[in-house]
Amino acid sequence: MARTNTAARRTGTTVSFLLMLAGGVTMVLPFLWMLSTSLKQSNLVFGPPEWIPDPVDWANYAEIWDAAPLATGLLNSAIVTVLVVVVGTFSSTMAAFAFAKLDFPHKRAIFVALLATIMIPLVVLILPQFLVYAQIGWLDTLLPLIVPGLLGNVTMIFFLRQYMLGIATELMEAAKIDGAGFFRIYWSIFLPLCKPAIAANVIIVFMATWNDYLGPLIFTSSPENSTVQLVIASLNSYYAEQTDFPLIMAASIVAVLPVVILFTITQKYFVESFAFTGIKG
Amino acid sequence: MTTMTTRRTQSMRRRERFWGLLFVTPIGLQVVLFCIVPIGIAVVAGFTNWNVIKGTYDFIGLDNFFEFLTDKYFWTAAGNTVFMLIPIPFYLFFGILFAIGSHRGTPGNQVFRILFFLPYISSVVALVVMWKWLFNYQYGLVNQLLAGIGIQGPDWLGDPAWIKTTIVIMIIWKMIGITSIYVLAALKNIPEVYYEAARLDGASPIRMFFQITLPMLSPAIFFLTIVGIIGSLQTFVEVQLFTSDGGRNYSAATITYYIWQKAFVSNELGLAFATAIFFALVILGVTLIQFRMSRRWVYEGE
Repeated sequence: MARTNTAARRTGTTVSFLLMLAGGVTMVLPFLWMLSTSLKQSNLVFGPPEWIPDPVDWANYAEIWDAAPLATGLLNSAIVTVLVVVVGTFSSTMAAFAFAKLDFPHKRAIFVALLATIMIPLVVLILPQFLVYAQIGWLDTLLPLIVPGLLGNVTMIFFLRQYMLGIATELMEAAKIDGAGFFRIYWSIFLPLCKPAIAANVIIVFMATWNDYLGPLIFTSSPENSTVQLVIASLNSYYAEQTDFPLIMAASIVAVLPVVILFTITQKYFVESFAFTGIKG
Repeated sequence: MTTMTTRRTQSMRRRERFWGLLFVTPIGLQVVLFCIVPIGIAVVAGFTNWNVIKGTYDFIGLDNFFEFLTDKYFWTAAGNTVFMLIPIPFYLFFGILFAIGSHRGTPGNQVFRILFFLPYISSVVALVVMWKWLFNYQYGLVNQLLAGIGIQGPDWLGDPAWIKTTIVIMIIWKMIGITSIYVLAALKNIPEVYYEAARLDGASPIRMFFQITLPMLSPAIFFLTIVGIIGSLQTFVEVQLFTSDGGRNYSAATITYYIWQKAFVSNELGLAFATAIFFALVILGVTLIQFRMSRRWVYEGE
């Protein structure tokens, strides 16, 4: 009996490993093909599939900087992302703390209103925003991509509020008796305790901001205000006609790399903090 | 003494209110300025024939609404929008499958987790760039591999019958990783005692999956379905990047694409706003219906 159980378990693990392997390969193969293509000479990509480029040619990675304003794009994306992530995290955690632990007028109504905004289709907001930005001279600047993000992020507030609800209120009461102000309670007690959840959310906001294409597409137009995603998209539509695939692949890899590195470093926080909060609709 | 304590508590309470309101001021401002004000503008503008270039507008009642409702392109877009719901059951299925694999401690699951996440963390722009190359009719890897086993692959990007499917495959591939993370988190929250009790009663693994795991996952599945539907109905960026003109015969255009095109390509702002409002109401309705139906199948805990 016990033996059949172990045997069944081993078969289960093997099946599960093979399934995961098949899935993992499906996920990563397109990226490997992209990498392989980016290291080929432009005229060598039209034959039968060849995984290891012969010769390995790094020239595309040198060429992309002249082929498109990639450096400007990376710089603009970095400015937008860093500001939104740093200041926005600050705004979001403050709001999350207030919703989780403080008592103030209309708290519930304000919170429900925030959640309701998630359901509004983006297109309903983005068209009028475009008109307003046109009026106040924000079009074709980075401001529409930065300013709303500085004020916080509803998903992050929701998530962190859940997380903070799980932290004992006694901590706060004790600090109050010691005469700590509310800002200090937030800053030196709750922020440090929420580190894993904040880390997970920072990645999500970083990704969303760095990868955003819709905002830059609608609100900016000139090359000097393009973010990296716009640069890649226009590079693609320009060079795809000339079928210079290796060049486009190289540029895309440069655009994807920052997020991949950041995620690989911080991925362990993901599951941990998701599990802690639980998911409730 | 008592009055002093009361006074202290009162001033404490006043300070708490002050800080509470102060802390939610930034997000409150964001909602008012970038959400409520725009909605107000959209609702008013939907009833006008606003021309941005000339800067003129008249109120024309419900004309915009009649216009898109009788536009055959709108209905093509509506059909395509519904088509974009197809990925949801697929990525839910694979997401649950891989979450279970990861949860039971399959060897290498840390590495797999990173691999599964790669598509999700990459930008749509990069993915479309990659997809256009992979699915290139003549030289793409996919059709070359298919040719290897004797199948003539379709024109994934150019054929109106295939372009939506190409987009759907990409979305499924992209969403499996994040779905499995959500499901994995929910799996970790199922108390082990349920399984122990079931094992004592001699329940088979399959029975345990359907009687314990699946019901306990239902809140997570519900959440992912709601978010998935709201997101899928708004598919736009993929269409714009893959086709730039909505595809041959408008074969890939979605409602958001239709609205975008009306606003930014043909300058019919009033029409775009009216369509957007209508669309928002549809999404709201769909979401409310789902919450209604959820009572029947979502486990809410004791």
